Amino acid sequence: MAFCIAIIGKDNAPLYLVTSDVEKELDLQYRVHAALDVVEEKCQLLGKGAPETKELYLGLLYSTETHKIYGFVTNSKIKFIIVIDSSNVALRENEVRAMFRNLHILWNDAVCNPFYIPGEQLNSKKFDRAVQKLMSGNV
Amino acid sequence: MQIKPIISYSGSCPLFRSLEAQILNAIPLDTCEWRRTFHRPTKHVRLDAQTQQFDIKALEKYKQGEWSILEHPILYIFVTECNFDSYKATIREEIHAWLKLLTSYGVSDWMILLVETLDMRKTKNILPRTTVLDKIRLDFCSKNDDRCISVLSPAKFEQKSTESFRCLLQRIRFLMLTSYNRNIAQYQELIRSKREKRNHDGWDFRQYFFMQEDLALVYEKLELPTEALIQYDELDAMFSQFITHTGFSDKQKWLTYFQMPLRSFHGICLSRADKFEVRNKIREEGGISILEFRNYLFERQAHLLYQCNDIPEIAKRLLNFLFSTLREVEFIKLDCQEGALWCWEFVCALEVLQMCELAMDPRNEVTCFQHCAPIWNLAKDKLYALGKLCGLLPGCKPTSEQLHIVVQLSSAIGDVPADQQQQFLNATPQLRERSPNRKPKKSAAEQLKEALGSNEAFKKLYLELAELAISTYKHVSQLRFARLAGLDLGNFYCALNEPHKAVGFFTDLLRELKAENWHSLSSQTLLELANCYRKMGDSLAYTKICSSISCCAELEILVRTFYFDEFLKSLKTLKTTLSAQPSMENANYCVLEDHFRILDIEVLNKKPIIQDDFVMLQLKVESLYPREILAESIKLCYEIQTEPAQASLQDVPLSKTTLLAKSSLSYINASLQLSYKQDNTLASASVACETPKKSQPVRRTNSTKRKLLPSVQADFTNFVQAENVILQPGPNTIELKAKATRVGRWQFEQICIIMSSLEFLSEQLPYTPSFEICTKPATAVLDFKTLVAGIIQPITLKVAGGSFIFPPDAKITLKCSKNLRIRSALDKKNPEFDDDATFGTLLQVPLLEFKSFEERNIPLQVLTDMPGRKGTKHHEHYISLCCPWSRTELQIPIEFKPAMEASCRLHTCGTQKFLQVIMKGLDANLFLQDAKVKCDVPGVRLIDMNPPSPEPINIYKPLTVTYLYEIQVEPLKTEQELPIVKVHFVIKYAHEAQPKVWRNFGCAFDLVDYTTLFKVQAQLEPNELCRVRSVCNMNLKITKVQENPYNDLMYEVLNDQNLWAVCGRSAGVVSMQDVDSHSISLDVMPLSTGFLPMPSIRLSKYTAGGKNKNDAHSKVYPFPPGQVYNSTKSVQIHVIASVNVEQ
Repeated sequence: MAFCIAIIGKDNAPLYLVTSDVEKELDLQYRVHAALDVVEEKCQLLGKGAPETKELYLGLLYSTETHKIYGFVTNSKIKFIIVIDSSNVALRENEVRAMFRNLHILWNDAVCNPFYIPGEQLNSKKFDRAVQKLMSGNV
Repeated sequence: MQIKPIISYSGSCPLFRSLEAQILNAIPLDTCEWRRTFHRPTKHVRLDAQTQQFDIKALEKYKQGEWSILEHPILYIFVTECNFDSYKATIREEIHAWLKLLTSYGVSDWMILLVETLDMRKTKNILPRTTVLDKIRLDFCSKNDDRCISVLSPAKFEQKSTESFRCLLQRIRFLMLTSYNRNIAQYQELIRSKREKRNHDGWDFRQYFFMQEDLALVYEKLELPTEALIQYDELDAMFSQFITHTGFSDKQKWLTYFQMPLRSFHGICLSRADKFEVRNKIREEGGISILEFRNYLFERQAHLLYQCNDIPEIAKRLLNFLFSTLREVEFIKLDCQEGALWCWEFVCALEVLQMCELAMDPRNEVTCFQHCAPIWNLAKDKLYALGKLCGLLPGCKPTSEQLHIVVQLSSAIGDVPADQQQQFLNATPQLRERSPNRKPKKSAAEQLKEALGSNEAFKKLYLELAELAISTYKHVSQLRFARLAGLDLGNFYCALNEPHKAVGFFTDLLRELKAENWHSLSSQTLLELANCYRKMGDSLAYTKICSSISCCAELEILVRTFYFDEFLKSLKTLKTTLSAQPSMENANYCVLEDHFRILDIEVLNKKPIIQDDFVMLQLKVESLYPREILAESIKLCYEIQTEPAQASLQDVPLSKTTLLAKSSLSYINASLQLSYKQDNTLASASVACETPKKSQPVRRTNSTKRKLLPSVQADFTNFVQAENVILQPGPNTIELKAKATRVGRWQFEQICIIMSSLEFLSEQLPYTPSFEICTKPATAVLDFKTLVAGIIQPITLKVAGGSFIFPPDAKITLKCSKNLRIRSALDKKNPEFDDDATFGTLLQVPLLEFKSFEERNIPLQVLTDMPGRKGTKHHEHYISLCCPWSRTELQIPIEFKPAMEASCRLHTCGTQKFLQVIMKGLDANLFLQDAKVKCDVPGVRLIDMNPPSPEPINIYKPLTVTYLYEIQVEPLKTEQELPIVKVHFVIKYAHEAQPKVWRNFGCAFDLVDYTTLFKVQAQLEPNELCRVRSVCNMNLKITKVQENPYNDLMYEVLNDQNLWAVCGRSAGVVSMQDVDSHSISLDVMPLSTGFLPMPSIRLSKYTAGGKNKNDAHSKVYPFPPGQVYNSTKSVQIHVIASVNVEQ
């Protein structure tokens, strides 16, 4: 369902990145990295709005022939990026939104771990499993 | 194809045709206000029109619901030119029939036009009662009389007709628009009903498409491009929906129509002259592919967007259009030649870009660029893919097969007819000519063909596109995209074998990635860079990159070790290269953090470091290299701390805790705030942080950005160093040291690891421990309490080392002044304790293993002779100290109190003389023994009159001990001969602490005036009985014992006035010249009873005054005690009470 799920810290360093296809991992990483440009752009626009009405979901960041890249930013400026197969026309935007919501919950649970140091890469088997599930679309 | 509202005419057709040209020309000349339904905004519309003779077939279709708004006449006009009679005869019936017909088809947009030929001659006099117009109105237009209008035939009344003609035109325009309101609503209803049936059998998308497009065209005609666009968007979405969602079933037979094999791949053409060329093709059976259809749709959308002046939107829609079309092609499972779709994408992209460029509006330039940037990138990517396919990449040569592909593709791209270019765009005045010298752009298709034609052209176009993509991305500040495009361009340059050009792009990308800690990507870029540098032969850069690569944990260990070996290899050759290029300053700096991780820095010296001592430092560093490596030198520089440290760390050892305290300085200044309720219970607790500056809010900096090159080398004048250290992979502990030269508080600044000619400099130290180098003078003082002379006295030498570093054989030399002796303190039990020979005037105190800052008390003992001087004066001495840290001698004054004091008195008994020596105990408890006097004067003999005492006499503070000696001077020796007799008194004493050690105490006395000159005798008479208050006679007798020069003597009776009263003179002067004795009688009276002491007599030398001029007054001098002997000095007189008490 999703090609890649990336979690990027507030200073744009990757905290967690998982791809469904190891061979394409580098390419996807480049795409995810570039997507940060759009995230920043959108955040700037969002930043002008009142904080209460802030929408965390950023929508489609950009698309390529094969991928659609969606973004989400938490209040603490952690960015979630999901890369989706663009040929999958059955996937609705609401589903992407739900994926982000679930990912946000997972992330929150993971960083609540007192042994996790904020700003470092996340290493958690439990999180891995949950994200794998999320990527394959059976949450 | 013309899109003009149709006006249907009937009635007198020849008449209408005569007016037709005039009407049609006049309609577009003016606008008309269009009041729209549903409160849509009113609009002034300029209309155009065409005419058509009334046709009943069209109405038939209209009724059946198969009409098109384009083909449906918008206004029905009945034209007539009649007089009263002809109207009544025929025309009325005609109109009636016409209207009936129209109403039967539900058409209500009609108009009756009466062309009048007013006969001026006729009407001059007679005013007609009713005109034909009135009649017609009465007959047909009772409800809407505006639908009937008369006009003077312009053919006959040129001047007069103008007014009526204008009215006609206004009316026509107005009625057309009114008709549109109704017709559009009706048509929309029709479309809706058609759409509902889309899943029915036999429904054809194309029919529906034309239907809705007609509406769009009408909207466009009516200058409502946005609404027209909505129609197209709906069609677009519907089509996509069909293709992607519905799939292929029997129901959608029409879909097969779009499954036509793709033969040509014409891109979109935004400058098409005949907009409806494709539309017509769609209508033809089997004439269009899905690609063409899509192209047409996009072109139309683009055109309408252009009308709305929303060019960025065109660019924005392009990518989505391309991708969705590709997806649709895939869904339909159309086979096509490889690369064909890339061509199509490329041409489309370039077409839109050209359009954007030409029609750029400065107001929305940025938004436009924002959408253009990815299009440039896409064009670049597509071109690259094509180049790969056709063997056009650098270093490749197209094979014959590939050439064949090129030919096929080129033909499939299609041409744009030369004549129709630019027409569409040039028509609009807002276009800007970018530069007059600029050649008109070739069409996208031509550019592509040219690029596919040769390797060189391909390269040129690719580079151009890549640069444009990068610069556009940069322009809209999408740096990451720009870097990504730069990566492609860099790779292309690498393939071109121009690595020096590629390096810049890779370095930019690397910087970006490293700054944001994308390790796996940055390590990939490092590999690319290594490739470039190797090709360039830049050994320094290559070495550095190899080193970085070998430290990338993300890479495979095989890769890392390979580059590690490369690194070592080229490091060896580096020295010569560097020296050859002295201009490349600082080029040999590397970022330490890429290769090593600093784990800990700890100062090993516990205490403040003394100047000239060694600073020892433990550095824990993790090497990221895959194997062990030799660092020639590891330096850690330190700089003097400028600002005063927060806490005084003087007495705190430099341990971990202080390090933490130190590093916490960089934390924000947060403070605890507690607020209490009135009953002193805690209401809330919070942590507050005051921002230092308003303009600079608090920023979190918990992650550091990494750089490519270290920015600065710190000041390496002071550093700790370790040389030739082998660093193992993983953590290493290294000790660094340096000599502490300058005093102060220092802080570590930067680490530098030197390997051959490379210097690895740290950016920021995780810990910046500080240490202090200090110096403190060494001191030596003598500490003592009241010192007593003559006995052993303790004294302490206090040595404080300070920061002085003592040699192992250091010593302090003490030199004593005369009569003072010193020794190291001995214990009482020591047999040598009592040995005075152990004292010396010079003493060397060794300072064995004396450490800096040590303080040592060295007990000493001093002993000084007890001088035989009289009086309790302090004896002053001094001790000179000679210390190893100082060249000058230090003189310390020292004072001793005497332990005891000796004095002597001379006593007389007649001519016998006695010497009394009085020993007064002072500050010590002593034993005295063996008192002796000695007199070396011949003829003088001293006789010891003291009882022999076997036991020593104890003497202490208030106690006095007296010794008595008689002095016998030989009679022949007169005082003139021996005016002074020197007597030495010697006694042995011992301190109670050292009862066995007897020391000598000597004292010299000078005896003068020891000869008795006069003797005084007093006698009371009556001798036996003396009564109170009865006068007695006192006889004084002064006898000269020895011949002497004192002739005049004065005597005084010194009596206690309570005891005695002298009657008459109590003093007098007698002359002893030539007489041996003198007797004087005085009357005295006792005043009390008892044994009264004889009134004492004082005899003095008397010098009468006035004898010479010098002393006019008489003078009296007392005799020294030895010269006058009062023989009745202590005689007592018994006075009894008077007899006649009663008296």
